[in-house]
Amino acid sequence: MNNLTDLPNPDGFFGDYGGKFVPETLMHALKELDEIYAKLKNNPEFIEEIDQDLVQFVGRPSPLYFAKRLTDYYSGPQIWLKREDLNHTGAHKINNTVGQILLAKAMGKKRIIAETGAGQHGVATATVAARLGLECHIYMGAADVKRQSLNVYRIKLLGAKVHAVDSGTATLKDALNEAMRDWVTNIEDTYYIIGSVTGPHPYPMIVRDFNAIVGRELRKQSMEQFMQYPDAIVACVGGGSNAMGIFYPFLEESNVDLIGVEAAGSGLMSGKHAAPLNDGEPGILHGAKSYLMQDENGQVVDTHSISAGLDYPGVGPEHSNLKDSGRANYIAVDDDEVLSSFHLVTKLEGIMPALETAHAFAALEHIAKNYKSNQHVVINVSGRGDKDINTVATMDGISLD
Amino acid sequence: MGYLLTRLDEKILSFNKTSKKALVAYLVAGDPDLDSTLELMHGFVSAGVDILEIGVPFTDPIAEGPIIQAAHDRALKNNTSLNNIFQLVERFREKNTDTPIILMGYINTFLANAEALKEAHQSGTDAVLIVDIPGESNLEDLGIKNEHLASISLIAPTTSEDRIGKICNSSSGFIYYVTLRGVTGSSHLNIQEAESNINYIRSQTSLPVFAGFGIKTPDDAFNLSKISDGIVIGSSLVQMIHEQSDQKEYKKIYNYLHEMAEAISR
Ligand SMILES: Cc1ncc(COP(=O)(O)O)c(C=O)c1O
Repeated sequence: MNNLTDLPNPDGFFGDYGGKFVPETLMHALKELDEIYAKLKNNPEFIEEIDQDLVQFVGRPSPLYFAKRLTDYYSGPQIWLKREDLNHTGAHKINNTVGQILLAKAMGKKRIIAETGAGQHGVATATVAARLGLECHIYMGAADVKRQSLNVYRIKLLGAKVHAVDSGTATLKDALNEAMRDWVTNIEDTYYIIGSVTGPHPYPMIVRDFNAIVGRELRKQSMEQFMQYPDAIVACVGGGSNAMGIFYPFLEESNVDLIGVEAAGSGLMSGKHAAPLNDGEPGILHGAKSYLMQDENGQVVDTHSISAGLDYPGVGPEHSNLKDSGRANYIAVDDDEVLSSFHLVTKLEGIMPALETAHAFAALEHIAKNYKSNQHVVINVSGRGDKDINTVATMDGISLD
Repeated sequence: MGYLLTRLDEKILSFNKTSKKALVAYLVAGDPDLDSTLELMHGFVSAGVDILEIGVPFTDPIAEGPIIQAAHDRALKNNTSLNNIFQLVERFREKNTDTPIILMGYINTFLANAEALKEAHQSGTDAVLIVDIPGESNLEDLGIKNEHLASISLIAPTTSEDRIGKICNSSSGFIYYVTLRGVTGSSHLNIQEAESNINYIRSQTSLPVFAGFGIKTPDDAFNLSKISDGIVIGSSLVQMIHEQSDQKEYKKIYNYLHEMAEAISR
């Protein structure tokens, strides 16, 4: 069998998935990015610079924390939390932007663009752009601008311009469309920091590599704190970057179960969800072949999720390959389960997770029973929930005005 | 293959013989509705259009500017599918058998209809142009084998010389040179750059090179026709079609096309 860790191949394929399906105008920029990344990724000075930023600016390593009361609540396995919510700016997204901004700098690009759903990637991008004094534009679906207004204001405070995107469904996929259009237009001076393991090659690889620090730390921390690797790792999957980051260093550890959790929205049966790995077919969107929510004519269908960061009809190509190969399992939890889980974790552990992250917690209802009390399940706490307070209040029928 | 000349080959040979420049016109199928599209196709030809490019609507058309995006949305609201478009082409062929038809769209809709594409020439389609694949890939690379359909490739101002060679080798019909960095309907035309790139492309292939994206006025048309073998007009037509979508009175559009046809034969 093919070594999963060695993927993608030079053309950007993970098995059948991935590739570079983009307008010709972008091909040269992708090749340039591929070359510069290949050159820099093993360069000691580049590695040193990223490591220093991760420690001193982001606050890494993030702790591995034993969730005692959650463990008692489920009375199954020991539940441990990988605390990406404690990173600077509040989510795993900063791991990627700290790395990519250095690629932008190495390529001499003066202008930074990004798409964002929950606004976390927008904040993380605006943050690193501010630090280098680079012009920054963030594309965000108009619907998400409303439901993540706190992050929109943070992005503006950081000096970036937010472009609300009205087209299509006015969510993450449309923000990506618009960012791609900007990139095609401003290709010479602009670097596009994609926010997940999506898009054309080499992005899925680059974003995974920059997030893989999470899994590498976990290898070390789990050995130190419970003397073995975890029995299972659980992460939410939107585009799939936090999941890929924590899964990747464990791909060859076949005893470690890898469980991705998608957004079932109003329920998988309702069709109103954002779970392409559970209920999609292979297709091509935003530069890569991967599982996709689409109709029989190849049109992308509308998605729904309570969480803006998971409200996306596609998924990173590497996840599609992990699904087909059976190395990872993908389940889905619906909005109601997510909201209950958000309250449960907040009350039991004093940790308020992002609604995206609450999907990973909600999976415990389904999988905790499969593990015994001497086993260890790690939840990737991809981000904190401050940004979601308005949504949670609305769902609970509470007015904050 | 292909000792029998296709409709597109014949058209292109006729340009070569007469040194005439080609006028290619784009419109989105199903905007405002399929009957209007059919009427417009015939009207375009009467107004001097040589080749028709039919936009296949897609939910996420990343290479399009706002005008064509909105047209895709309207066409999708009318449930326009690739199968409807094959029927449209078949109806067009009842009265017109010599104007080549190119379907232009996005890979996901073509892949979803891969089986139908294997028969597409039978209803009268001559070529496909897939916007979101690298220039050197063609239908066959995507598992859609149909030797009667030409694959038109795009070459951009950013395409490197070594890739231009590869793209020319895998293309048939003509080469579509994208005259600007940007989406359809932008206005950053750069004639000097286009000229030197088109000259380079011509050194690599005997296929004709057409220029498109951002051509709006008869002056644009004239300038680009001097340095290429033909021009493609899209957004300005789509905009006018939309403006007339209530009255469905298209004379103004035909007059415009007439002017464009005149400009490129000057
Ligand atoms: C906290 C958090 N977790 C998860 C995600 C989903 O992205 P991914 O699947 O790439 O980790 C987001 C995206 O906005 C997020 O903000």
